[in-house]
Amino acid sequence: MKKEDILHVYQRAAFGMTPSKYKKEENRSRIEVVQDLFAASDKIEKLKVETPELDEFLENYSERNDRKKLRHLIQESRSKTIEFNSLWLDRMATSDAAFRERMTLFWATHFVVRSRNIIFYQKFNNTLRENALGNFRKLLLVVTQESAMLDYLNNQQNKKGSPNENFARELMELFTLGEATLYKEADIKESARAFTGWGHTFNGHFVNRKKLHDDDEKTFLGKTGNFDGEAIVDIILEQPECAYFICKKIYQYFVNDTINEAHIAEMVKVFYVNYDIKELMKFVFLSDWFYNQENLGSKIKSPIDLLVGLKKVVPVSFNNDKQLVYVERLLGQLLIEPPNVAGWPKGRGWIDANTMMVRLKLPSVLLKNGVIAFDVKGEFEDSFEEFNKQSNLNRKLNVTVDWNQFTKNFNLLTYQDITDLLIRCPINNGTKEFLKNLEQVDKQEYCIQLMSLPEYQLS
Amino acid sequence: MKRRDFIRNSSLASSVLFVPNFLKAFESSQLKVDGNKKLVILQLSGGNDGLNTLVQFNNDIYFKNRGTIGQQKNQLLSVSDELGLHESLKDFKTLYDEGLVSVINDVGYPNPSRSHFRATDIWQTASSSNEFLKAGWIGRYLDTVSKSQLGAIEVDDTLSLLMKGEHINGIATKDAKLFFKTTQDPYFGAVLNNYKDAHLSEHNLGYLYKTVIDAKSSAKYIYEKTKLYDSKAEYPQNSFGKQLKTISEFISSGLETQLYYASLGGFDTHANQVNSQKRLLEVFSTGIHTFINDLKATGALKDTVVLVFSEFGRRLKQNAANGTDHGAANLVFLLGDKLKKPGMYNAPANLVDLDSNGDIKYKVDFRNIYASLLKDWLLTQPDAILNGKFESLNLV
Repeated sequence: MKKEDILHVYQRAAFGMTPSKYKKEENRSRIEVVQDLFAASDKIEKLKVETPELDEFLENYSERNDRKKLRHLIQESRSKTIEFNSLWLDRMATSDAAFRERMTLFWATHFVVRSRNIIFYQKFNNTLRENALGNFRKLLLVVTQESAMLDYLNNQQNKKGSPNENFARELMELFTLGEATLYKEADIKESARAFTGWGHTFNGHFVNRKKLHDDDEKTFLGKTGNFDGEAIVDIILEQPECAYFICKKIYQYFVNDTINEAHIAEMVKVFYVNYDIKELMKFVFLSDWFYNQENLGSKIKSPIDLLVGLKKVVPVSFNNDKQLVYVERLLGQLLIEPPNVAGWPKGRGWIDANTMMVRLKLPSVLLKNGVIAFDVKGEFEDSFEEFNKQSNLNRKLNVTVDWNQFTKNFNLLTYQDITDLLIRCPINNGTKEFLKNLEQVDKQEYCIQLMSLPEYQLS
Repeated sequence: MKRRDFIRNSSLASSVLFVPNFLKAFESSQLKVDGNKKLVILQLSGGNDGLNTLVQFNNDIYFKNRGTIGQQKNQLLSVSDELGLHESLKDFKTLYDEGLVSVINDVGYPNPSRSHFRATDIWQTASSSNEFLKAGWIGRYLDTVSKSQLGAIEVDDTLSLLMKGEHINGIATKDAKLFFKTTQDPYFGAVLNNYKDAHLSEHNLGYLYKTVIDAKSSAKYIYEKTKLYDSKAEYPQNSFGKQLKTISEFISSGLETQLYYASLGGFDTHANQVNSQKRLLEVFSTGIHTFINDLKATGALKDTVVLVFSEFGRRLKQNAANGTDHGAANLVFLLGDKLKKPGMYNAPANLVDLDSNGDIKYKVDFRNIYASLLKDWLLTQPDAILNGKFESLNLV
């Protein structure tokens, strides 16, 4: 397999490659490389922050009416969520199962939730991780039954006699069929009734509240029966439009923002058979068209892509979890908080004058004690004093950089090797000459310079 | 240049901006704007309690629902026999008395969202409550009218959805000098100077280069145009005051930018509302009063309208923590000296006919206010920008 192709598939599927990983895959065939990528992601390792106080409370909830205690626990949950944010980013950058982590991130951008409850949020996140390469039907069902989802889209409030349509609407519009002409307003209403009674217990376990379930007849997408939620999911999956919708989204995420209908049609043919996610992804990465010139280095990295990739090149960790949140906000993507149910922007949607300047400055700010001279807006929940704080002006980021590890990884590489490894698109001619004419000081600084180029923003 | 120079100066540095001639064509400092009208949009972020901002002090239902946080008549600043402004709005009331304020009550939209995030998106994108739009309505104005990122400035360091178009995004800055310096990194300058490709923005790499070039030239334009002008007015020493001062200086120094946005946060008063709202409204009142008088003094007020909104109002019935929870329809302020109907635009909120959550029902769709501002103030066709037909309300 060609060097640029190996690097391409690893960039898209695993956030990039370390020099040693590349060394291992060099000279292998496409099938071998792809098999390796998948094999490394066979194991499922849960991601977990320790939450003893919250676990205790959810188990016994004896102090449920103690307002002070509750306020404290909400705070605790918030700070654990911020801790989880760091842990998740580290995981993506360091895990051997990087492809599973990439798929987990993909599903987290597809099945969007926000939750103030870290226990629910963490459980949801691990459900995505566990099923990231499994069967889409199973994934859809377990996601539907997660407490974080039941809360976020109000199915907890979906009851016989007063159905709440929020979940049913998004299930079709955002999770399975898209804004299609396939279904009508009546289909949303009928399917909402099928999900009545699905909820969760205080400590987050799925529960089918039979008394709240509407067991009467429903008509959905032309079929009539006493459907429950599972039946609705099955009817949706029978529609080829569902396979198309998911394949198109995967194509845009992994291949190219600009869709190619012929390629997507090939994917649908594979996926519609039994909705096997692993089979679909294998098909994509083994396809010749995945390595077409127009697909190489053509996508704009998301902020998380950028951060994870940077950490893969230079091991850097934030000593203060809140500062990572701050950096993610400046870049426009807070990992633990998608902006709304429709999810994050994509492609050029990430880029404005301000985020672009932050992106270009990020490597030197993180790795060379630079300064970010930007403030972040306060939060809705903040008090005026909090909102008004000027403390993030001229903020120095408190990070630890493992240059020893970097040197170990990079000392045998030539400057050209480093360029090949880090940059996925052809470097603009003028920029290339400029780089050549710079005095070559050392590899650390060369990497920082490469990562400060507009070219590094592409994957 | 040595690599080290770039590293050492990685945060702030300045050098002379040089953009190769063939790139000049892409610089976006030339605005294509007819007329010189300005619109300043201010968000009271978190959901300001409109019912305690403009109080119906003779209404029993109000006091019945607000046992501990209700505002008594003798504290209020009466504007009629029935209505009084919050005691912190003293300066604001002088503007009101001078006919520089319109109060529009019951502004909202069908099926209101009570989530800060969602409701803010709805107000900023001018969407319906079940519609998810990727561009803000000011962003779409940039796309279709200004055709330049310099058409709109957010006085902050990150850009809100409001300011993002399908193709063009506004600029966020609250310190023109700092923003200018940030873009003047010698390394970036060198990289851009060496960029050789006339097909900018056709592919993603070109688009990224173009974004940096635009950012540089916009930062330079804003800085150079505004650096010699300092407002004479004395603004309150808080972030809101600083933001308003910046906007005033941008407007009065002749920057061609038409649209400005800033937000004042902290209005999410679930607990112990009385004191926090008192402080917040004072910050708002003193700031806006200084701002309007500053614009009056420089002669810019005749061309400026200010829109003040919150993403939602708050529930009529107070909660057990002496605060209020997220509600629905709320009041909106317009300020300027070209208002068609200064004072109360419409009747105050109906406290009897509530929605199923116990919240104020909307009577004025917020998009009708946007339509008025677009059509009657900015003199453009509102339909495309608002994705639908909304009648103008004869406000300005």
